[in-house]
Amino acid sequence: MPQLPASHFLYMVVYALLVSLVFATLLKDELRERLRTVATLFAGFIAAALAIGWLMYPFPL
Amino acid sequence: MATKSTTAERPRAAAEPGRLALVCVLGWLIPGAGHLVQGRRDKGLTFLVTLPLMFAFGLWLQGRLFPFEWSDPLVFLGAIADRGIGLPYVFAWMADAGAGLVTAASYEYGNTFLMTAGLLNFLVILDAFDIAMGRK
Repeated sequence: MPQLPASHFLYMVVYALLVSLVFATLLKDELRERLRTVATLFAGFIAAALAIGWLMYPFPL
Repeated sequence: MATKSTTAERPRAAAEPGRLALVCVLGWLIPGAGHLVQGRRDKGLTFLVTLPLMFAFGLWLQGRLFPFEWSDPLVFLGAIADRGIGLPYVFAWMADAGAGLVTAASYEYGNTFLMTAGLLNFLVILDAFDIAMGRK
């Protein structure tokens, strides 16, 4: 089994991509609209994660 | 004056209970199969690739397939979510995969991937059901 990369950000990116793909496929029938929805959802996931990450930065674990 | 068509007024395809059950059971066992049997090839293939991939990724990240633990409601709910993926869960269970490694840095990510794959498949089954009912 290949060694796991120790990047939480990478896991989050893969998760966001897969979930965006499934949701866009559920919501849209046309390929063009679907791709646009994938991009929008994916960007939203990443932007929200980065924003929440920065907001939580001052708080100790 | 022309009236606007609503969902209730649209003609619906005759949905036989047997066919509905087949669509739902197939969709649960094989992610995307509920769409494939209804001729929605592109959607079905996307689910067929994406959801098992997500589940496999969860196992690779040392996630745990939760048992039905009645005493712990959160574990019980996690167990339901895990089983939503259908046959990939059965294969993982038969291969003794999904024991989970709590000390692994990716453990929680693995759990999230596993549970989300199952929950998304529940949504996919509902979508296939709607198509079979003629709502889409």
